[in-house]
Amino acid sequence: MAAGPFNATMILAILPQIGLLALGVLVSILDLLWKENQKRNLGWLTASGLALIMVLAGVFTAPAAQPVLVFGGMLRHDWLSFVFQMIFLFGAALTALFAMDSEPLSRKGEAYMLLVAATLGMTLMASAADLIMLFLAIEMTSIPLYILAGFIVGDNKSTESGFKYLLFGATTSAVMLYGFSLLYGFAGTTQIYQLAGILQQGQFSTFTLIAVLMLVLVGFSFKVSAVPFHFWAPDVYEGSPTPIAGFLSTASKAAGFAVLMRFLLVVFPMTEHYWIPLLAVISTATMIVGNTLALAQKNVKRLLAYSSIAQAGYMLIGVASVSPLGITASVFYLTAYLVTNLAAFGVVTIVGRSTGSDELSAYAGLSRRAPGLAMVFLVALLSLGGIPPFGGFVGKILVFAAAINSNLIWLAVLGILNSIIALYYYLMVLKVVYLYRSEDENRPLAIPRSWAIAMGLCVVGILLLGTVFGPWYQWSVTAASSLF
Amino acid sequence: MVPLSYYLMLSAVMFFLGVLGVMLRRNAIIIFMSLELMFNAANLAFVAFALYYHSLSGQIFVFFVMTVAAAEVAVGLALIVAIFRTKHSINVDQLSSLKG
Amino acid sequence: MLLEYLPILILMILALVLSILVIVLGTIFGPHRPTPRKGLPYESGMTPFGPGTRRVSVRYYLVAVLFILFDVEVVFFLPWAVVFRKLGVFGLIEMLVFIGILLVGYVYAWKKGALEWE
Repeated sequence: MAAGPFNATMILAILPQIGLLALGVLVSILDLLWKENQKRNLGWLTASGLALIMVLAGVFTAPAAQPVLVFGGMLRHDWLSFVFQMIFLFGAALTALFAMDSEPLSRKGEAYMLLVAATLGMTLMASAADLIMLFLAIEMTSIPLYILAGFIVGDNKSTESGFKYLLFGATTSAVMLYGFSLLYGFAGTTQIYQLAGILQQGQFSTFTLIAVLMLVLVGFSFKVSAVPFHFWAPDVYEGSPTPIAGFLSTASKAAGFAVLMRFLLVVFPMTEHYWIPLLAVISTATMIVGNTLALAQKNVKRLLAYSSIAQAGYMLIGVASVSPLGITASVFYLTAYLVTNLAAFGVVTIVGRSTGSDELSAYAGLSRRAPGLAMVFLVALLSLGGIPPFGGFVGKILVFAAAINSNLIWLAVLGILNSIIALYYYLMVLKVVYLYRSEDENRPLAIPRSWAIAMGLCVVGILLLGTVFGPWYQWSVTAASSLF
Repeated sequence: MVPLSYYLMLSAVMFFLGVLGVMLRRNAIIIFMSLELMFNAANLAFVAFALYYHSLSGQIFVFFVMTVAAAEVAVGLALIVAIFRTKHSINVDQLSSLKG
Repeated sequence: MLLEYLPILILMILALVLSILVIVLGTIFGPHRPTPRKGLPYESGMTPFGPGTRRVSVRYYLVAVLFILFDVEVVFFLPWAVVFRKLGVFGLIEMLVFIGILLVGYVYAWKKGALEWE
């Protein structure tokens, strides 16, 4: 663990993190200096700042073919972390745009600062190569999100959702930390890339290793909201401000997957035979629980929450396949899911703001009040349901192909059956949007520019991922290859 | 020297007491104290292993866990105060406005 | 070697025995004439006022939390100070960045009125 010589590659490798830090500081200073009526511009500033960081990172941070460990082995600079960092930055930029005109967040500088801080934590999660860094990154992501979930102080539901999120999050991370401490105890090092070798040499019984793996998995399952640690998701999504719910369900989940993939494949390859069935079972349970509970929902935010639990199940299929194709499929699926779900939550934000309700009945006649918005919802829900030519379709095909390739045919079949169930409730929502009439049909919905831009980006993303998927697929392949 | 296994037993006992506290107690403050117990059980294990291996990373880990736990509790207390203002109770069973 | 801890055990036993002995001797030989005045809780010789379990104003909470946060960050200065010479200029710059971030947080809390009492 020598400090190692300091050089420019180290700084270039953490360029996105430095940028995010600077942006967070800038936002908080401007929040103090700007007057109340200027503060809405903080949203533009945050979004464009994040976009700028993406461009800078794309130019300067693109990793070399050989992954390198920087900062004394704390971070690993490889394609997997790079691709995930881009996903988080994009998701955060869109969330900033959605937050701009959403009432509880719009004029609050601290909301943007916390958003940037959480994104910083996620970028570190994707590249952490040391247990210390990993734990810090996970907490750095979670703590700002706890505050954001409970952001509306006067509102019962919001504070309650923040508190529930914190309680679940802190408990699962304490269990995970205990797992880390045992891992450190077995190996005597906190470096993730040295752990596997030492664990393999040391004569540890499979039972102990599996027990530690379970402890660690508790923390990760919470982040990706996999069964049986999914209880928090619907409550938290319902209570928190809608743009934040969107962010929680996409970027935060993606960060959880980034960690899950790296950890399972790098630290525990020797117990593969045990955790692959385990992961397959978790994935099946996650899909079934998410989809069946979603069927009964009358609140669109809760429905999307259960649907996002189910989506985590499909992505777990890719991880359970444990092959380059499986990881590729999961990364691609996550990208498609990010733009899709952000678009869906964006629509919920707008409808919620103008009708004051997230109930399904509030969506009646939406196609007449705001045809463009209804179209975005149509694209998003069909993509979630896995209908061509949208991004979700390609993601699902890849995931199921990976499962079949790894001889998990039963899992692929279950996945396909589940997608059919899911399609049912997505179409139910669309039926309300397109076929039901309501009294205020002739009152069009106002859509501010920031939302129009964000949703335009999402729809373009969904269509690109569904039709011209070559480059994105190539990206995911490169990302996956850095794990094998 | 106290053998390593003593520390680990104590840490395991602390951890399970913490888990029991989180699951059984209903007062939010006590739940937080139980959470601290869980974090500190892990801390004890880290320090014990660090001593055993003569490696510093375990002790460094404890520094970070301490700060993180402080931040987490600060946020938690803020949320408790916010909840208490509207509900006049910090019993977690009362947190039931979100259901379905 | 648990034997090294024997002095501590002896100390604990001695302390226990001594305290029990003092209490027992006091109750056996001391005069015992209670008055209502003597039964009152002791508050530095003053007549007690108000209930013993008064509520603390929630305003203390904010100060306390800010104190904890900034206080805990100091933990990182200690290891840094120990290896200050080894780390050299790079370590100094990193610590300045760390303090800078803390300072922004401090100024933010100050300007937002977290330190105002009223």
